[in-house]
Amino acid sequence: MHSALVRLQNVFGFFTTVASCIAILIAFSSFTSPQTPSASLKLRNVQVVKGRPHYYSSKKEEYAHIKFDLDTDLSSLFNWNTKQVFLYIKATYPPTSPSEPRTEAILWDAILAGPIQPPHHNHWDPHASTKSRRSKSPPKSPSTKPPGIFKLANQRPKYQITDPSGRIAAQANATLELAWNVQPWVGALTWSRDADFGVWKKLKGGRTKAFTFPALKEKGEGLGTAKGGEGNRGKPA
Amino acid sequence: MADEVVEKVRELLEGQIDFEGQRLAELMQYAFLTTVGAIAFIYGYVTQNVYNSAYIGLGGTALTMLLVVPPWPFFNKHPVRWLSPHIGASPISISVDGKKMS
Repeated sequence: MHSALVRLQNVFGFFTTVASCIAILIAFSSFTSPQTPSASLKLRNVQVVKGRPHYYSSKKEEYAHIKFDLDTDLSSLFNWNTKQVFLYIKATYPPTSPSEPRTEAILWDAILAGPIQPPHHNHWDPHASTKSRRSKSPPKSPSTKPPGIFKLANQRPKYQITDPSGRIAAQANATLELAWNVQPWVGALTWSRDADFGVWKKLKGGRTKAFTFPALKEKGEGLGTAKGGEGNRGKPA
Repeated sequence: MADEVVEKVRELLEGQIDFEGQRLAELMQYAFLTTVGAIAFIYGYVTQNVYNSAYIGLGGTALTMLLVVPPWPFFNKHPVRWLSPHIGASPISISVDGKKMS
């Protein structure tokens, strides 16, 4: 500590120690904040149509277009260390061979920003009206309602899903499930779970009854040529 | 003249402090940074905003550096007293291999 340079190095060195200790404390403080998420997810309508992954593709695939109702209270996921929550709905159905896990496909997702996140066009504000969401105006300050409480009725999917085999019509025993990642400011990314973890309760509800994908719709009816989900990727819902 | 100026600048940059000052500087560094860390965590938790923790942590560290790094006068309150060169001449005699050194 005899010269200024040595003191500067020492102070900075101890600062890094203190900063990492505080970061570890903040990361672990997330586990002390109770989570009691609940959701009600209902299937509205399923249609299966023929389409192709992109305009110039000669490959024809079957696309399922799933509309749903969602009523959630995920406000307890937002503690002081929550940066944002990536929320998604996946359709799962049995695999072709029984040794494999269930096939999953995401049909809708959204980024729910935490209360102190500065606005960003990737965030989805469930309380903004559809009109202002479509307009190109810069994002306004987040609404004052607690994040994570919202209701969607007859919501269109963001992605029309298909199977690697290209066939999804008449697939039986499918369900829709709500799932998420909690992205903290400091600490580990945590996923929704099927079991309680300490004071973190598992999601109550958030799963539809088993349903069967309908048969393929005839040409010239309904949706026309379906478009694969690639075009939607990264956009808010 | 020029040498004196260079010497002044060098001293200021080196910022040497005495031994008591070094002990004090080390103590201040540990005490301040630990306190700043604790305040940062608690204030951030109470206001439920991690930005507050980050700002308090960084600001407190900057303040600590301002207090500890420069050679403030209070770090030089106990200068080391060297024996004056005249003392060596009379009462103390040093002998090496039986020979008297002046």
